[in-house]
Amino acid sequence: MNYKDYIKWDRMPTNWCPGCAIGTVFKQTAFALADLELAPTDMTVVSGIGCSGRAAGYFNVDSVHATHGRALPVAEGIKRANPRLKVIVFSGDGDLVGIGGNHLLHTSRRDVDLAVICINNATYGMTGGQMAPTTPSGAKTLTSPHGSPYAPFNIQGIITSNRRHWFARTSAFHVAHLQRTIREAVEWPGFAFIEVMAFCVENFGRRLGFKSGHEMLVKLKQDFKPRTGPEGPLGPLELGVAKNDDQAS
Amino acid sequence: MKTLVMGNEAVACGALKAGMTFFAAYPITPASEIMHELAEHEPAIAFVHAEDEIASIHMAIGASLAGRKAMTSTSGPGMSLKQEGLGLAHMMEVPLVVVNVQRVGPSTGMPTLPAQGDILQAAHGSHGDYVPLVFYPSSVEECYRTTIAAFNAAEDSRSPVILLLDGYLAHLQETIDLDTFPFEVRPRTLAPLGEGRRHFTGLLAKDGVPKTKDSAYYREWYARIKAKMLETAAGYRLYDYVRNPASRLLVVAYGITHRVITPLRSAYSLFKPVRMFPVLEDELRAAADEHDRIVVVEMNDGQYRGEVQRVLKREVLGISLLGGTVSFNEIRERLREL
Repeated sequence: MNYKDYIKWDRMPTNWCPGCAIGTVFKQTAFALADLELAPTDMTVVSGIGCSGRAAGYFNVDSVHATHGRALPVAEGIKRANPRLKVIVFSGDGDLVGIGGNHLLHTSRRDVDLAVICINNATYGMTGGQMAPTTPSGAKTLTSPHGSPYAPFNIQGIITSNRRHWFARTSAFHVAHLQRTIREAVEWPGFAFIEVMAFCVENFGRRLGFKSGHEMLVKLKQDFKPRTGPEGPLGPLELGVAKNDDQAS
Repeated sequence: MKTLVMGNEAVACGALKAGMTFFAAYPITPASEIMHELAEHEPAIAFVHAEDEIASIHMAIGASLAGRKAMTSTSGPGMSLKQEGLGLAHMMEVPLVVVNVQRVGPSTGMPTLPAQGDILQAAHGSHGDYVPLVFYPSSVEECYRTTIAAFNAAEDSRSPVILLLDGYLAHLQETIDLDTFPFEVRPRTLAPLGEGRRHFTGLLAKDGVPKTKDSAYYREWYARIKAKMLETAAGYRLYDYVRNPASRLLVVAYGITHRVITPLRSAYSLFKPVRMFPVLEDELRAAADEHDRIVVVEMNDGQYRGEVQRVLKREVLGISLLGGTVSFNEIRERLREL
């Protein structure tokens, strides 16, 4: 399979802004699917609402663009109805962790066989740049004009609180790592959650002094490093996989 | 064989008969027995006790898209949460059955007492314009038959069909023989996910491509959806009309209220809509034309009375039974006072 087969080219250009990170993750997902030689008839993509949520419609497979926060329950319904289908959830942090947070708790606990690609751009980009549950402390947004007073959500902590779990962190800069991680997530028999560190320059970065998407990409390169140490929980700036295949509870 | 069956159980049995193989719900009084009954049927059906009502309707939507007949059930507080999924299913044209066993609201209200207070919510609960099919049986046997009809109508219309019950009917036990009813079961009308390059979205879309700024297309789309729903509704003229030639008064009642006043047919003409929405306009008009006065008896503050008055364009009286009790004697007295 060629990665081009997974993309609806007649839908291009996307509605993502120049300098946006989502396109990179979208394309790496297409590369990973091609590498896995996943037939379009054996898979589906589900998204929620937001900039990342538009991705489902750009994949050249049967796909679903659900309501805000509900990508996981729709995906779970699909998977339980037809376990033969590989179900890939492609959505954002506001959708999956914010409004869909309760579903994240329970879908991960039920260990539903889904590959979840969560674009973490630390903000609600589509609605203009409000504070997300993932917004770093002190960051100024439309709804935190004096700086976010809260610590960002520990997604790894939520996922790995389940005995059996698969959590990965990767970034929109580290594309080889990103692509490899997506492949692993799709192949993992159970709930696999990827936090893709990304960015939004138009509605988030500019308020923090970034002048371009490139500057934010360089920041990702500087901040995040693939894990070199032993297995276990990832440090806050580490990229890699934290997993436990122990079925016992 | 005749057995003692509860309204909620009859809904579960009807769903199985109609070919339902996916059910997701969250426990809530007075709807939980539907869940209890269907949980016994795992793994023949996929059953999910979900984390909440929002999740359960969205799971049902996903399952329906993936090729299974799906249902979810709840009561008022949960129905409020399901409105988001109902709108999505209308927009994406997904067949589905949603059961609402009504209790006294608003909010947590009176959980164990029956009501008919969610009539207008069933028609207009989700935001935006849409034309839903809403059925409301009035006996245990009718719960069974109407559930099958709801699944068929969902396939015919490719939409979420609402099945209303009330806490009284849901817990009413009657002896019926489930095997004696002739029934017809529709095949699936939607090709399952994995068979194409389709895009299902809650956005206004044409062939999977969002048309979010195209007002002309919205009008075209809405006209098609409305025509589709009305056409399907025409195949489900479910009602019961017993004319009493001696009566100048037509009593309109539905659900448990109709069941309670059935003996009054010796004194009045009785009209019972089973298809609540779209309103049975022709049938109501024909029945009303034969009477001087019309009264709607219902366990709410005149919700369906307003609908009947809108259709008939003449004054319609109302008897509101509020607070979760429905008494034959009270209704008989209040009808006499009219």
